[in-house]
Amino acid sequence: MNRPPVWIEVKIQGERGGCRLWLPLFLLLPLALVVFIILSPLILIAVIILWPSGWGRWALSVLRAAYNILCALRGLKVDIQGRRETVYINIL
Amino acid sequence: MSENRKKILEMLAENKISVDDAYRLLNTIESAEGGRESAPKKATTVKDKPKYLRVTIFPDPEHEKNQDVDRVNVRVPMSLLRAGIKLSSLIPTDARDKVNGALKEKGIDFNTRNMKPEDIEELIESLSELEVDIVSAKGEKVKVFVE
Repeated sequence: MNRPPVWIEVKIQGERGGCRLWLPLFLLLPLALVVFIILSPLILIAVIILWPSGWGRWALSVLRAAYNILCALRGLKVDIQGRRETVYINIL
Repeated sequence: MSENRKKILEMLAENKISVDDAYRLLNTIESAEGGRESAPKKATTVKDKPKYLRVTIFPDPEHEKNQDVDRVNVRVPMSLLRAGIKLSSLIPTDARDKVNGALKEKGIDFNTRNMKPEDIEELIESLSELEVDIVSAKGEKVKVFVE
């Protein structure tokens, strides 16, 4: 079973400054799930309306593909230390 | 001693075959058994499914002291490559036809519709043998490999 990542760490440092971001996805994803459940009746209605034209199936495929890509991001690591910029992305 | 070898020696003892024939038959059996023995060994040495595509660029240790160098270490999960390739199935037909047409104009006769999950797996498994190792004139070491 595909599991989504639990943590995202992003550090970008340039000449003009930088930013640091820690996202505990294991806390955010349950919130996103709750929002999705709340919006699910609207999503379902939209899918039913779009189904005859074929876009409904496409919309469901996109949702599934987006989830698969999110799960596939686990293990992605980018560590670039340039002369002027530093980029660090780690998804656990 | 294998059954086949025993039979050959029995036939030689009973003068049913000559010494040359027995020698030839034994050699044939040995080469056949040797091939069978190496096959399981080959299976155990087959690499596990590749999990990550790695790209690393490290500077020459002498230049590293200057701190005026680039350093790259990228690890991309193979599952991301699979998911990305599977995304091609979501491309609308009109856009896909345009992509195929543009590829054909460049001389690449490739139809994105023909990509199947088995082909993706075969492509990813063949990547397990990929290894690129370059040392530039500045001493930078560029490596692309799969682990």
